[in-house]
Amino acid sequence: MAHVPTANGTAMTGATSLVKSLEAAKVDVMFGIPGGAILPAYDPIYDSTIRHILVRHEQGAGHAATGYAQVTGRAGVCIATSGPGATNLVTPLADAAMDSVPLVAITGQVPSVAIGTDAFQEADIRGITMPFTKHNFLVTNPDDIPRVIAEAFHIATSGRPGPVLVDIAKDALQKQTSYNWPTSIDLAGYKPQTQPNKGAINDAAALIAQSAKPIFYVGGGVIKANAARELLELAQLLGAPVVTTLMARGAFPDSHPLHLGMPGMHGTVAAVTGLQKADLLITLGARFDDRVTGKLSTFAPNAKVIHADIDPAEIGKNRYADVAVIGDLRETIKALIPALTATLAKGRADLSPWLASVNKLKATYPLGYDTPADGALSPQFVIERLGKICGPDTIFAAGVGQHQMWASQFISYEKPRTWLNSGGAGTMGYAVPAAMGAKVGAPDTTVWAIDGDGCFQMTNQELVTCALNNIPIKVAIINNESLGMVRQWQTLFYDSRYSNTSLESKRVPNFPMLAEAMGCVGLSCESPADVDATIEKAMSINDQPVVVDFRVHRDAMVWPMVAAGTSNDEIMIARATAPDWDSQEL
Amino acid sequence: MAIHKLEVLVENEPGVLARIAGLFARRTYNIDSLVVGPTENSKISKMIIEVSVEGHSLEQVIAQLDKLINVIRIEEVLEGAISNTKHDTQPDYQN
Ligand SMILES: Cc1ncc(C[n+]2csc(CCOP(=O)(O)OP(=O)(O)O)c2C)c(N)n1
Repeated sequence: MAHVPTANGTAMTGATSLVKSLEAAKVDVMFGIPGGAILPAYDPIYDSTIRHILVRHEQGAGHAATGYAQVTGRAGVCIATSGPGATNLVTPLADAAMDSVPLVAITGQVPSVAIGTDAFQEADIRGITMPFTKHNFLVTNPDDIPRVIAEAFHIATSGRPGPVLVDIAKDALQKQTSYNWPTSIDLAGYKPQTQPNKGAINDAAALIAQSAKPIFYVGGGVIKANAARELLELAQLLGAPVVTTLMARGAFPDSHPLHLGMPGMHGTVAAVTGLQKADLLITLGARFDDRVTGKLSTFAPNAKVIHADIDPAEIGKNRYADVAVIGDLRETIKALIPALTATLAKGRADLSPWLASVNKLKATYPLGYDTPADGALSPQFVIERLGKICGPDTIFAAGVGQHQMWASQFISYEKPRTWLNSGGAGTMGYAVPAAMGAKVGAPDTTVWAIDGDGCFQMTNQELVTCALNNIPIKVAIINNESLGMVRQWQTLFYDSRYSNTSLESKRVPNFPMLAEAMGCVGLSCESPADVDATIEKAMSINDQPVVVDFRVHRDAMVWPMVAAGTSNDEIMIARATAPDWDSQEL
Repeated sequence: MAIHKLEVLVENEPGVLARIAGLFARRTYNIDSLVVGPTENSKISKMIIEVSVEGHSLEQVIAQLDKLINVIRIEEVLEGAISNTKHDTQPDYQN
């Protein structure tokens, strides 16, 4: 249905003005649940061209909006009522802030005269969400609604993307107003710098040309800036190795010979050690997160740093930058390519010894896993087969825990926006609703949630939403009947004392029956021999959500590992097993 | 411990003081003193913030403050006089 713009000056209620504003902001879908304070808005929503998907929990609405935003690059929209409806959005807003996801959350608030009186379902959601929204608004005057909505979308999607919350008092929704969609947005305190400084680009090019051991440290910013193609060109121009962080999987093809894999706590030996031994980090849209750097004072000790980011506050936050380039990453890389071409033409370091040494690490320490002798199913095997059978066009959304790390490690990501996860916040319960939002944003693409049996039990109710709204996602539950990642830490650091990590989820719940009860197809698989056929069966069902209970053994661990707070130099490839450094020359 | 005095122009909107106080608290920056007053423009207030920088760089404090949408301008007050350049996060490379 084509959207017919509403003329400025038209008289209507604040609620209608809100919906017209969302239409003017080109919203095509929103996820939410009504309630008293937001109810006036739900009346015009009934007539709107915007598809509203009625979720079963507001947390599901928030993560669905995130999944939608992560696959489309557009702002995801969620809507909730005041008080508990709004506080249920807190986790997805915090999640979106950590992973720089453009989100607009609309909440109803109690009537303006009641604000501050502990009224029924009153919660100071603007106060609550101040620390982890990019900005938030409380609207009490209906005339402000179009301007605030326009500003909210502008703030959420420009610069470093992030969540914006708009809290609207019920009386502002009910009152009459005249609709005025702004023709321009002018925020005195918000002018993100998108064009990189030329001097900084030239300094970066000069530093790169001098480096004998450069490495591209690629973060999620490359995906947000839609700069994957430019990155490929830049990496091939220099011929230097590339690592992609948990948030950047898919920003650079895994199959590319220059790719060393993921760095960080569960990164590959080649990626982690490549960063440690480099003399120059070409940092693109990454933020020196502690899960990447390990003990910060020992991270990449001999490296100079080029740090390119849209957010000036990331520069020097955790690691000093020798050259900082502030701007949109796509613009930055596009400017860097000719600058570097010119600099390299005047002479360049020979990178072949460096490449030989990182490639040797890559060949010596590939990712791998043990297959249990008793024929039990390995979680890594299931995930590896999923990646192989479903192929590089499939979108995978992971939960949080061991299965997340394996899904990052054992699936080959070739394209941006095919790997979704909760990286910064590590939010259990992200996968099912995020996959739902992803499928709404990319209806013609296969979307798999790879979830833990623990995570799945936090938000699986959204499968009802999927079943009723023709959102046929697929869910692989990697059922190790444990809070596996926590159990792994107990194995390694708490003397195998498994305090409260056994979920018994091979007994209860019965996941296939639970899936059937929610209107999905429920499948189960316990033997390695049945894995391919089960995945193919799931792939053949496209008119209903499918849930597969992969019953895997519980003792698998995620390797390699850099224990929290230790140096990346102490990476372990298996329990108490360090790489054989003596045979490596770096 | 170095104490720096910042003159911060902010939009005169409800909640702006909470945004600034909250930012300092959650990022463990220390406010030594804070004075808020009006400017000739009723839509803009001026804050004088004395911040003691320990374990953080002044640049980082200013860069994080600058991210608040309601913060319009930040200047460091040097020896009684306001430095007439806007503070940059990375002086060499920002336009
Ligand atoms: C909301 C939330 N609560 C707790 C945690 C801590 N935590 C991290 S991983 C994990 C275990 C997840 O278990 P499961 O979903 O079964 O995945 P597995 O690690 O077994 O693959 C827990 C409890 C978290 N990340 N998020």
